[in-house]
Amino acid sequence: MKRRIGVIALAVMLITTMLAGCATKTNDTATEKEGSQTEKVKLRFASWDSAEDLDMQQNLVDQFNEEHDNIEVVLEAYGDDFDTKISAGMGSNDAPDIMYMWNYPAYYEGLEPLDAYLEKEGADFKAGYYDALWDYNSMNGEIYGMPVGFTTHCVYYNKDIFDQAGLEYPQKGWTWDDLIATATTITEKADGVKGFSYQLVADPYDFEMFLWSNDTAIADENGVMEGNLNSDQAIYVFEMYQQMQKDGIAIATEKGGSDEMRSGKTGMFIYGSWAINTFKEDNLNFGIVELPSFASSGKDSVSILSSSGISMSKDSKYKDEAWEFIKYWTGEELNKARIEYELPVLNSVVESENIMEDELKAPFYSMLEQSAGYVPTSFVIDDWSRVCDNLELAFERIFNPSTLEDAKTVLDEAVKQ
Amino acid sequence: MKSKRWIKKATPFFFISPWIIGFLVFTVGPLLFSLVMSFFDWPIMRTPAFSGIANYVEMFTKDAQFYKSLSITLKYAAIFVPLNMVLALLLAMLITQPVKGVKFFRTIYYIPSVISGVAISIIWKWILNGDYGILNYLLSLIGIEGPNWLVDPAWALFAVILASAFGVGVMMLIFYADIKKIPIALYEAAAIDGASPIKQFFKITLPIITPTILFNLVTSIISAFQQLTLVMLLTGGGPLKSTYFYGMFVYDNAFKHHRLGYASANAWVMFIIILLLTMIVFRSSTAWVYYESEPKAKGGGKK
Repeated sequence: MKRRIGVIALAVMLITTMLAGCATKTNDTATEKEGSQTEKVKLRFASWDSAEDLDMQQNLVDQFNEEHDNIEVVLEAYGDDFDTKISAGMGSNDAPDIMYMWNYPAYYEGLEPLDAYLEKEGADFKAGYYDALWDYNSMNGEIYGMPVGFTTHCVYYNKDIFDQAGLEYPQKGWTWDDLIATATTITEKADGVKGFSYQLVADPYDFEMFLWSNDTAIADENGVMEGNLNSDQAIYVFEMYQQMQKDGIAIATEKGGSDEMRSGKTGMFIYGSWAINTFKEDNLNFGIVELPSFASSGKDSVSILSSSGISMSKDSKYKDEAWEFIKYWTGEELNKARIEYELPVLNSVVESENIMEDELKAPFYSMLEQSAGYVPTSFVIDDWSRVCDNLELAFERIFNPSTLEDAKTVLDEAVKQ
Repeated sequence: MKSKRWIKKATPFFFISPWIIGFLVFTVGPLLFSLVMSFFDWPIMRTPAFSGIANYVEMFTKDAQFYKSLSITLKYAAIFVPLNMVLALLLAMLITQPVKGVKFFRTIYYIPSVISGVAISIIWKWILNGDYGILNYLLSLIGIEGPNWLVDPAWALFAVILASAFGVGVMMLIFYADIKKIPIALYEAAAIDGASPIKQFFKITLPIITPTILFNLVTSIISAFQQLTLVMLLTGGGPLKSTYFYGMFVYDNAFKHHRLGYASANAWVMFIIILLLTMIVFRSSTAWVYYESEPKAKGGGKK
């Protein structure tokens, strides 16, 4: 008798422990907080930042929660695994209500179009943001994200190294021939320093900006690569880059190139605004200038936009509240709060903070103006992820110091895939 | 009473029920689900569509990367598995020697295998760096100019094999435990008959630990084929896809290209390949594995 009761008790204990372990996930979203009388709407907000940027974001989220009694936003830090987690979330219909977004072609089917919400706010609301940004946050003519931050790409140069080589600082409107001449002089005059550095595994999305600057592209508006990626102008760009390595005036870096800048191994490199704070903290004496243009193209240089937006999941149960948060996150106050690490997207903030006077930030805005109207091929080609993989491999074959293959051969092959 | 008998019979199942249910829900369930998925075209965002064996057909006929990744992984396994076993056996023999401070060495040899894959990747990334890495520095001291390990496609695979060597501690420990079990009387008898230490190793130690060798061989093959963490963090499949292991191939198909159905088909093909290899190893084992408990008359075992 005792034994039987013991066994039953044990069985019940085992089963309840197991069920307790399984049940936590679904119950979380319904939990109420701090005995508030009203039903609080709980929203999940996913961010890809980490460290200090994330701490700042948490403060901003807390501020929103204080100001809004009926909404509570929970910040989820996805870090480097952002893409994987969002994919998994969307696949299991468990995506966060609000999330940072950059890869619209891949994810737009899980996002809510925002045109209706924007219309409700009136025409001025939309006009307050830089025009060029809307193209980068839309798919098929519908807007899927609000611009949060952006950067174009510019040339960073090390003023100390330039002084050492007796060179004048580069000015807006310079050409690639100027850059190559400068890099050659630096390599000759400054000991152990290479004039220029660029990425070994070039990102096709980013690299397209050099093709744009030379009057071509990866593909045309129908997604056809033949005649574009392997056009003479495109081959010229690749060969020019490759030649810099062969002449010994450039390094092909394994990562972005900021490490080489910080350790003084290179005089110039091309990057977004992400390095400004790091270099300032390092007390690096550096300057920023617009991208050089191609003398033969007869036009200004063009840059790609690395735009980050904030989007709403189409499965969110609280879309209006999510819109409130999105407005807050992209509003004036927060554009100002994030000024240290993201260039503001609102015209009004750029004016009020005199961004155009800042010699480190102004070049990014002038590049923005020169880059209006270009649509990246990633938005046009359907299976971009597979094509991008192939292109990455092709570009690496051209730029990897162990291979340095002939550009024309590689590109002709690449357009066939 | 009937219920008393029922409870008596059911008791053992109650005790193992948490594990069984966990196994069914978290292992067998998803396994079967992925088998089902492999017959679908399952994009992450849109609705899945049944596609029969289209995924498998595509894999074998249209996807060149499938064969490339498979051959890279096979090459890795072919080099790494024997290397690992020999290294583990060597180290195990070393730590069975009655030398002073052997316990200290035992710990040191085992520690690298405890380090997480992420930390190992970061450490090796610095050791293997072409310009500042210590490997190339040490090589330069003996006059060899080391290649740029992680940038040169010809050497990247060897870099991954080198970094994988950190996991040798586990096998070493298993070998060590087995070697320790061998009765000293056997060695003494052999020494009296005039056998040298090397002969003793090949004629006594090796035959007796063959069951352990079998075990280590099988587990080594399985983990070599499934290698993902190290390669993802150390080389990312590069340079020029020279270390694009099969594991990365499956992962990218699932999470980069958002093709869950195709990735599931990939995973099942790998499962079958490993299964076949393991079966071959087991079949062949009757020829070279010696079990002490087997009666002498049965085939197999050294005579």
